[in-house]
Amino acid sequence: MNGASLGRSFDVRYVITAAIGLFFAVVIVFPLSLVIAKSFSSDSGLSLANYGRVFSDAANLKALWNSVWVSVLSTAICVAAGSLLAMLVIRTDIPAKSFLRLLLLLPYGIPPFIGAIAWSQLFGPAGYVSKLYMSITGAASAPWNIYSPGGVVLVLSIYQFPVVFITVSGALRRIDTSLEEAARMSGASPFKTLLDVTLPLITPAIVAGGLLAFVGCISNFGIPALLGFRARFFVLTTKIYSALSIPDMPIAAAMSVILAFVSGLALVLQRRLEREQHRYAVISGKSVRPQTMSLGAARIPLLVMVIAMALFAGVVPIASMVLTSFIKYWGAPLALKSMTLDHYKYVLRIPTGARAFRNSLFLAVGAATITMTAGALVSYMCIRVKLAVARVLDFLGTIPYAVPHTMIAIAMILAWSRPPVVLYGTIWVLLAAYLVTYMPFSIRTTNATLQQVHVSLEEAARVSGARWSDTMRDIVLPLIKPGLAAGWVLVFMPAFRELTMSVLLWSQGAETLGVVIYNMQDADYTQIAAALSTVVLLIIFVGNALVRRLSRGEIGF
Amino acid sequence: MADWLERIRIVKLTKKFGSFTAVDSVSFTVRKNEFFSLLGPSGCGKTTTLRCIAGLEQPTSGEVYIGGRLVSSPEKGVMVAPERRGIGMVFQNYAVWPHMTVEQNIAYPLKIARVSKVKIRSTLSSIVDLLKLSGLEKRYPAELSGGQQQRVALGRALAMDPEVMLLDEPLSNLDAKLREQMRFELKDLQRKTGIAILYVTHDQVEAMAMSDRVAVMNGGVVIQEGTPYEIYKSPATKFVADFIGTMNFLPCEVVEWRDGCAILRLRNGSVVRINSPEVERGSYTLAVRPEDLLLNREEGVDCQVDVAIFLGNAVDYRVKLGDDILRVQTSVDNRFEQGEKAKLAVQRGILFS
Repeated sequence: MNGASLGRSFDVRYVITAAIGLFFAVVIVFPLSLVIAKSFSSDSGLSLANYGRVFSDAANLKALWNSVWVSVLSTAICVAAGSLLAMLVIRTDIPAKSFLRLLLLLPYGIPPFIGAIAWSQLFGPAGYVSKLYMSITGAASAPWNIYSPGGVVLVLSIYQFPVVFITVSGALRRIDTSLEEAARMSGASPFKTLLDVTLPLITPAIVAGGLLAFVGCISNFGIPALLGFRARFFVLTTKIYSALSIPDMPIAAAMSVILAFVSGLALVLQRRLEREQHRYAVISGKSVRPQTMSLGAARIPLLVMVIAMALFAGVVPIASMVLTSFIKYWGAPLALKSMTLDHYKYVLRIPTGARAFRNSLFLAVGAATITMTAGALVSYMCIRVKLAVARVLDFLGTIPYAVPHTMIAIAMILAWSRPPVVLYGTIWVLLAAYLVTYMPFSIRTTNATLQQVHVSLEEAARVSGARWSDTMRDIVLPLIKPGLAAGWVLVFMPAFRELTMSVLLWSQGAETLGVVIYNMQDADYTQIAAALSTVVLLIIFVGNALVRRLSRGEIGF
Repeated sequence: MADWLERIRIVKLTKKFGSFTAVDSVSFTVRKNEFFSLLGPSGCGKTTTLRCIAGLEQPTSGEVYIGGRLVSSPEKGVMVAPERRGIGMVFQNYAVWPHMTVEQNIAYPLKIARVSKVKIRSTLSSIVDLLKLSGLEKRYPAELSGGQQQRVALGRALAMDPEVMLLDEPLSNLDAKLREQMRFELKDLQRKTGIAILYVTHDQVEAMAMSDRVAVMNGGVVIQEGTPYEIYKSPATKFVADFIGTMNFLPCEVVEWRDGCAILRLRNGSVVRINSPEVERGSYTLAVRPEDLLLNREEGVDCQVDVAIFLGNAVDYRVKLGDDILRVQTSVDNRFEQGEKAKLAVQRGILFS
């Protein structure tokens, strides 16, 4: 609707926009720019000295190199596995498609650091699989070591491949089938069609998915921390963590800027590919029933293989986590009499446990509520009122999407540990960090939700005699409520189990669930960590079911 | 000057989007009981004009009066909010609220106006009867067909008990059969209620069939205003002639004008005489409707039948006249074969310079 037609509410909207602008400037722009400033400053003023120190120190250089090769290798595995599985599930006559999809996406719902814990329970020196191997072969130790670069790559791949799977299967489903049918009519076999027509069409999606997986790998902290520290294997994120505990702020800032630069570049490329796809418009928006290729005799063996893979990647780690949480002591024989509820009781009894629940709940509710409110307002000003300044807000609010969580944590330390505003050392610094981190997610969902409400629905209310406030109350809010609720849960869930920033910013009394699980695991209280993780997983799965219900299956996994 | 029958009057309405002028100094009046159409190709400014009248767009300049009351005038600083203009409006995509039932949709304007429950009941039941929606009151829009949603949108506009109703291409999303049926129903509805209707469409058949008066728009300006008959028979410009119905255009030379008759020479040299207001000699374009051409074997200029299409109630011919191709319609009784030589008589035509 056009600006001035709203009469008096005109001013209100500028006030709201200005208020959010100020909020974004203080909470997002100011802290992040401090990190960049810090990375370029030294005693003698503006300089590249910090970057020089990063690149001249062998250990830092090694971490940088490790980050690159680990991420590239994991991404390659993700792309291969994700694309092949997507083709198999979408484009062949393999049975039980929707069940397979659900099973394959399961790792997507598990927090990576909880996954890392589960994998160390399975393949660690005293892990279930390792012990099984030893009892069968009689060997003194298993021939593998999960606490190694290889372990980091394996677990990163498992938790990032669903990203490629989702992107590629989405593209496969949206391809105009007549393009493939035309190839068939021109004499190409199904396999030749796949190679000559389908594959070139989905290549941008494969690359885009790969870039997203790469960003996920290179900015991940939990997996290399839990599996790499013991092997003294460092990547950028874990090296930043070490630099912060020295503390060497300038180096931490410089390394986080390097990390942000690399992942930002990958995200820009990914966005460009996404737009390119829309421009060619070969892949249409509407979903058509895709052609499927007959697998013949390989149908059942392939199904068994995929199910085995999916169980291995998603179900076994969860089962192992649950099992560990009930077992009396780590290494006890697997029998009913070894089972106990003691660890859950312990979790509830220790003050840190209860406090972590309270803190995480408070932070997740706070972050979800505040970011969704701000997001809804920004989207409304942008999409409906079409205020030019609101576009700037939309941009500012989505910047943190490209910023690794380690950098956001450093930004919080730099911005909020000095007077006049000292939040560092309290739970408020975590809330500030969460607000920065989840703002982009909120703006995305609110944009998408509001775009679904056609502007004529509002206009129809206006010409029916409703004032702007009536229209908001009777038309807009009821229509966007399910979307807002789904978006709220989508912020709540990752915030509830956040690790990276919490581990860098927590203080006594301000522990979060992620921090407690991490510390318990680090101190070898495996069962306590498992019990807490199991509870967190339960909440995540319930939350996901809720989101799927609210969005009628559109959002969630 | 005030016309007590006037329902909508716009005076020199102009709307600019940046440097683009969507509506350029448009003026017209819609009276009580009148069905008035804004007709034009997409992008001609008709919808923007409608939205300025509704108050959904703020005009750049000019005045809008509804029921004699000034509701919009940037020069005088007047801009009445859309909800205070008391008009009914039907949107192109219906804009039926998906979270409300048929009943709730239709009753919404009454609820907002704080009409008593009893009054809402009675209005609702009369609208439901009028629009043949009974039995569907508790349904949600998702459970209705396109035609039924359309009726709900109409019902909601009628619930306002407006003196003016704005309709923005309301039939364009319906299939051909339903569209034809809704045309009759809309016309019927207007007769029953006496509401002034401003109707926006790009479909000339629709505009001709339903309207008392039509304003043809192009490039943001009204090119011609009149009854459908006037616009069809005497198009003011070549654009109107081309846009409304089917029209043949022939380049020609006016040789002479005498006693209300113009004598023209066509490109192939043949001479034609038509009734015409006085014209100078020179080059013109002759516009002739297919039904104003008489294909026969006795009189007129020589031609050859190129293609004949049997339509059931008539035959549609494509006829070669030198290098020009013309469309001609004749009755079924008088048939010509493809390739047959024939004669063509021009019974009526208009000259455009």
